[in-house]
Amino acid sequence: MNFNKLVLCAAVAAISAQAMADNYLDFPVTVKGYDGDKENSVSYTGQSARHVLHNSLKAAVGQVQFGSEEANLELLNRYFSEEGPGRDVLNPTSKDGFSVTPAIVSDISSGKNLAGKAYQGAVAGWPGYLNGEQVLADMIARAAKTDGGFDPVTGHDYQQLISKFAMGAVFYNQAVDNYLDEMLAADVKPNSKPYKDGAAYTGKEHVWDEAFGYFGAPANVLELSAEDVYNIAKMKPEAADLADANGNGSVDLHGEMAYAHAYYAAGFDKGGKTDYLHTIAQAFYDGREVISKAKGKDLSKRERGKLEDYAEVIAENWELVIAEAAFKYAGETFEDLEKLNIILEADGDASETYRTYAKHWGELKGFAMALQTGGHDLGAVAFELNSLIGFSPVLPGDSQVVGIDADGEFVQRKTKTLAAYQADMVRVQALLAENFELTAKSQDVTADMSELLEQLNSGGSVEND
Amino acid sequence: MLESWSALFNISEWVGEFTDPRKRLFWGYLLCAILISALWLRWHPTLPSLWHRDNWFSASARADFKLFFLNKILFFWLRPNLLTQSAIALAVYLFLMEHIGSAGQFAGSMPTFMQALLFTTVLFVVDDFSRFFIHWLMHRVPALWWFHRVHHSAEVLNPVTVLRTHPVEGVLFTLRSVLVQGGVVAVFLWLFGDGLSLQTVFGASIFVFIFHAAGSNLRHSPVPIWYPFWLEKWLLSPAQHQLHHSIAPQHYDKNMGVVLACWDRLFNSWHVSERKAIKFGVNDLCPNEHRLMHLLWFPFIRVGQMVRRKSREQISIKSEDMLNHEL
Repeated sequence: MNFNKLVLCAAVAAISAQAMADNYLDFPVTVKGYDGDKENSVSYTGQSARHVLHNSLKAAVGQVQFGSEEANLELLNRYFSEEGPGRDVLNPTSKDGFSVTPAIVSDISSGKNLAGKAYQGAVAGWPGYLNGEQVLADMIARAAKTDGGFDPVTGHDYQQLISKFAMGAVFYNQAVDNYLDEMLAADVKPNSKPYKDGAAYTGKEHVWDEAFGYFGAPANVLELSAEDVYNIAKMKPEAADLADANGNGSVDLHGEMAYAHAYYAAGFDKGGKTDYLHTIAQAFYDGREVISKAKGKDLSKRERGKLEDYAEVIAENWELVIAEAAFKYAGETFEDLEKLNIILEADGDASETYRTYAKHWGELKGFAMALQTGGHDLGAVAFELNSLIGFSPVLPGDSQVVGIDADGEFVQRKTKTLAAYQADMVRVQALLAENFELTAKSQDVTADMSELLEQLNSGGSVEND
Repeated sequence: MLESWSALFNISEWVGEFTDPRKRLFWGYLLCAILISALWLRWHPTLPSLWHRDNWFSASARADFKLFFLNKILFFWLRPNLLTQSAIALAVYLFLMEHIGSAGQFAGSMPTFMQALLFTTVLFVVDDFSRFFIHWLMHRVPALWWFHRVHHSAEVLNPVTVLRTHPVEGVLFTLRSVLVQGGVVAVFLWLFGDGLSLQTVFGASIFVFIFHAAGSNLRHSPVPIWYPFWLEKWLLSPAQHQLHHSIAPQHYDKNMGVVLACWDRLFNSWHVSERKAIKFGVNDLCPNEHRLMHLLWFPFIRVGQMVRRKSREQISIKSEDMLNHEL
């Protein structure tokens, strides 16, 4: 992080401490010659719809039934590749003490899907040399053959794999590799013109808002604590009033709900060591203010420079949130392997632990793959991460998915023992800690080691005896 | 590297030597040593005192202080570039998992308190043996002796003499500590998993605390505090260590342990303390022995001479062989 960025981060954190009360949805219309009736210029309903599609897709994977492959596939694609109307929101749906609206995806925004916005670059972490969209389609096709999205033969938990990877391949990639990257160029979607004819927002306003929408934070995020945002995503009744910023008695799925990486950022921040949520949100607010203050004119070089700096703060912190999540689940997987080994050695029933292991592995794998969709090449780090984690968890019996055959079926082979794979989880955490400036480091498996060594460390005295 | 040098100007780094209970020169331990020596001299008023001017201001004592400062500065930069405890611990931990089995196999096998006690005890014993063994090597390997000789060239002993160490020796001591601490921590975490802790008093291992509070700083002092014979067979007294610094040939290479006497008994180097005046130092002292440059370069010169002499001997053996062969 260079000095300028450091100063910017500090400024962002300082401003966030002032608890600016503005709701992101309240930025005024600045388009020259706008004659419509809109009073504000913020619009990211498409992104909110995609968050709902993602949540619903995850829920749908949990509903698939073994033996109904065709019906399963139809259900899953309804939330992945289809764009038509009439799709019910499967998640989030109203529950006691936490009412949400609407109940139909197209009531948020029509004609939206996830497939059309998925990462088009090659994904090295999944067999078959596929791009992001194809990987998601492949996972969905495989999930359709399972019961509840879990394949016990390979250890793949598709609910987790699809969800965690989609968050990266769609939301993170679209935001940091598109809207906050190419779309910030001077000649792309200029600020002196409406985004499209008759729109209440300029080109740059909408580009910025779409990126904000993908982050998944409620529009009043700066008025909320990390714990509030976490509770909103978890739909805890005590958070319903906080979420209902417009006071209409129900939490709107656009603008009031918390989703995806904003939820994970809040999860880490509520631990008190990090401030990812508000750093990212504040940078979005401040960037939006720069655009708004240009009053519908093209951004000056200086304004664009400021915007790019804010974009960099967002991208860096967003990447850290994903890296922290991968770190956390490598630790969870390590713990599961420890339990699994003990149960297997004692000839006990390992089915429940195996299921948890597969779930955590799916989360680790999904986040690790998501980390590689940010548009910049992670090079050797990505290679090592993919090699250590592999294409599937190592199973009791020491086998693992190593590729696919000519029919596209997974090929499994003996690779390493569960204990050796447990060691690889330590390496995954070490690799992530070495290459990303992680702070939260949840489930750090070497935390005890570091603490003990720190206790023993007397500065390496040269005492002579 | 910049960070290492900036630490040089951090006052707490310097003061820490005297305020950190994990270090031997912690003010509390120094106070204990002063009190113990005062009480001892009450009972034995004829014995030499810690406060004699030469113990603190002679050329030998001044050399102790110079080496203390030099090592402090040198190791600010050197230490971060040496092998770290965490690198060793991680390597051992991963090795055990990959080649022996999963971590945490003995998790929950004994109460946490017992785990901590076992860990603290094993760490203390292994650490004490490794200190003995490296010290033993320093005396037995001629090339190493020239570096260790810097410590033995002290003609007076005061608590700071413990840090009268040649930087080469300092590197070896640091690596020893890294290997032992990293290795033992890794093995215990591998065996017992999370939740392992050290039994501490004021942040220092309980054994380290007891050893230092019981007057470890008097080992490097002229005050000959001895223990009963039976106890000296198990724990080395300050007087036994002072005998280790004696120039008398019968005391050469004796009492090389730190806390436990068993290692010396095992390696036939144990010697009971003697209740008489001991002259400290080495027999081949040079006129400018305590000058810093001499202390730093002399070992290299002597090791260089040794290497040249060895290679000359080998050449002459070869020539003789060739001559015999031709005849």
